[in-house]
Amino acid sequence: MPEPDDNASSVRRAVEIGVFTVLLAVFLGVSYYCQDPFGLTGEALAHSIGVIVAAGLTLVMYSFLYRDNPLFKIAENLYVGVALGYGAVMTWRMALREEVYKPIFMAPTTEALGEALVWRTVPILLGILLTMRISRKYSWLSRYSYCLLVGWGAGVGISVYTHSYVLQQLNAAIAPLQDAVTQGTWEPLSGAWFLGAFFPMLGSLAVLVGTVAVLFYFFFSVEHGTAGRTVSKVGIWFLMISFGASFGNTVMARLSLLIGRVQFLLFQWIQMDQ
Amino acid sequence: MWYKRTIPLLIVFVAGLLGFAHEYVPHPIAGRFREEVTTAFRIIGGFALFIGAYSLLHMHLTRIRRRQPGWAYSGFVFLGASVMIFLGMVLGTGPLVDPAPGELTAFQWGYDNVLVPCNATIFSLLAFFMASAAFRTFRVRNFSAALLLGAAVVVMFGRVPISELFGELLFGADGRQVFPKASQILMDYPNLAAKRGILLGVSLGAIAQSLRVLFGIERSYMGGGD
Amino acid sequence: MAIPQAELRRLAIAKHVIFVLVAAAVIVPFVAKVYQRDFKPTSYAEDLFQKVHNLDANTRVLISLDFDPGSEAELLPMGVAILRHCFQQRLIPVVMTNYPSGVDLARTIVEEAVAKSEVDYGRKLTSGRDYAYLGFRPGGVNLVLNMGENLKGAFQTDYYGKPTEDMPALVGVQSLKDLKLVIDITSSAWVELWIVYGADRFGFEYGAGVTAVMGPDMYPFLQSGQVIGLLDGLRGAADYELLLQRTEVGKLDKTGRGILGMTAQSAAHVLVIVLVLAANARFIFRRATGREKG
Repeated sequence: MPEPDDNASSVRRAVEIGVFTVLLAVFLGVSYYCQDPFGLTGEALAHSIGVIVAAGLTLVMYSFLYRDNPLFKIAENLYVGVALGYGAVMTWRMALREEVYKPIFMAPTTEALGEALVWRTVPILLGILLTMRISRKYSWLSRYSYCLLVGWGAGVGISVYTHSYVLQQLNAAIAPLQDAVTQGTWEPLSGAWFLGAFFPMLGSLAVLVGTVAVLFYFFFSVEHGTAGRTVSKVGIWFLMISFGASFGNTVMARLSLLIGRVQFLLFQWIQMDQ
Repeated sequence: MWYKRTIPLLIVFVAGLLGFAHEYVPHPIAGRFREEVTTAFRIIGGFALFIGAYSLLHMHLTRIRRRQPGWAYSGFVFLGASVMIFLGMVLGTGPLVDPAPGELTAFQWGYDNVLVPCNATIFSLLAFFMASAAFRTFRVRNFSAALLLGAAVVVMFGRVPISELFGELLFGADGRQVFPKASQILMDYPNLAAKRGILLGVSLGAIAQSLRVLFGIERSYMGGGD
Repeated sequence: MAIPQAELRRLAIAKHVIFVLVAAAVIVPFVAKVYQRDFKPTSYAEDLFQKVHNLDANTRVLISLDFDPGSEAELLPMGVAILRHCFQQRLIPVVMTNYPSGVDLARTIVEEAVAKSEVDYGRKLTSGRDYAYLGFRPGGVNLVLNMGENLKGAFQTDYYGKPTEDMPALVGVQSLKDLKLVIDITSSAWVELWIVYGADRFGFEYGAGVTAVMGPDMYPFLQSGQVIGLLDGLRGAADYELLLQRTEVGKLDKTGRGILGMTAQSAAHVLVIVLVLAANARFIFRRATGREKG
């Protein structure tokens, strides 16, 4: 005798299939009515069918909001495959063909071929060694290429990080304080002085205090004493405000992505007037 | 073994030293050296793109071979990949010819109508889950959480145009910029301070890590094995 | 401790109700055609706009579109608006991408901007002469360093297969040092890599367009002057479109996706704020009356 739970799940399955059939009919009806692909030829037909396919895939992806389902999984895996195939074609077209095939196999002159062979043989061999990473037995060969790339990157990175991230940012943290005091010819304690020098200086000071407090919060090499804990607490406050700002912006970003898809469905698929 | 470990570490050190030192050579040969080296690295980088593709294909092939749960769906990965490679390399302009400006190829069609909507939609799902998670779990349990919530509300409201209408409603015509200004002040002062602190800390850490790589202390990039 | 079934069902219903509310908040403004166009752009968007606006005609501007379709909703409108502005000002945009999965998306952006600009500004725009789309080359930061010494060596052909050596759009541009302005539109760390390996090293001015998620992280670079202007998410795109419209008296661009999306953005934000505040008001009330722990 079937259990009550089995009955409930088969009823639910039947309802889901029914709803899916109705939604599919609605989708096809809307696509036919709004896109009218049968009245088109050539590029217009390709574009129309493309919009219908894109809208279908979009709605299938959104079916995940109800629950994970086979259609969603098919669309997801299809997308992964298409991305893979696209990446492979672009790797050939934009990278290997331009840097390896054309200079060697389509060299316009013998001199150009000679120059390509001289300058490109070693990088090509190193590139092939890099791909040895996929082999369990010979993956150690890829170390030569990786070490070159990683070593060079680390070496260049030391100077650029020091200049752009550390020195420039330290300068930017302190320079406004100096500018607020030395620039301008305001009468001290006048209204213009408060607006032009005093408040900007306070703002810059607040930023500097916050920066130091945040840095101090992350300094774990020594135990924080009483004063240290107070500074850390101030650092946490600044961090919480910053994380709140980041959270607010993250909500904005995610909603923007949804707005983009809705714009596509309404303006391109359904062809609603803007 | 020396050729599996010592030589690579030596390469790291010499490459890193050259990468660092050539920045401080004022002679034009330093620029020429950088040009040649980066050209070589660009060529090597082209081969690196294959490794990611291979890993993904290998994972799905293993799933099919071992009949792991959901193995049938992996077939669609191969279907999508082979169709795109066929469209890009065989059909249309072919492997050696590029499309003209404005020309619509089947390959571009596949990109525009399969890859773009799927990629864009998958990320847009987060909007729903974010709203739901914020409602169900974001609770002000202490002062820090209150600061976070307050900042989030100020920024979320100040960044949208409707806040100008609310400002005008509450404070008159001169009040249109009250909420956007509040949001901007929050971003220009406490947010700036915190982000700068994090940036300085992370960059100092990155510099230290680069030095560790150069001196062979950090070796995770070499992969497994002896 | 296991969550009771009734509580799980209640949470699931609440989740789906919120999904419906979010969808409604986004869809209804479009269906009702309620669009707000009278907002004030941010100062950082205005800075970037003025920088582009004040460049001399025929100045080459490098625009790097470093994103994939996952960020298309926020960054495509930015790219189209900036390119249209370049064509309006008779600048010569040189477009590239560092994302192999974004090559044809960047191409779409360029071709959409070209098509719109040809209609709006009444002149034919030719690839290789009025603009250049270089496509993608591998190498990451090594590509930027390479371009800093020899741009045409890094991109020997453009995306359409035409050689760059004698390309009119690249006359006078041997390397990044010959460029006055570079704009990076991205959803990744590329915005900082262009500063560190590009702007600070080769001396060009640098503007950025980023997703809203990354906006707060850019403020240290804005304040230090390493970034001269910033577009931040869909709002940034809307700001730029609005600024562009104000220079085109009488031509109202009805297809600017940034401006069109702002009302939906406002409605959705208000919804999220109301939901979060309501949930917290209930939580605080329950805690004050002893019915909630924590």
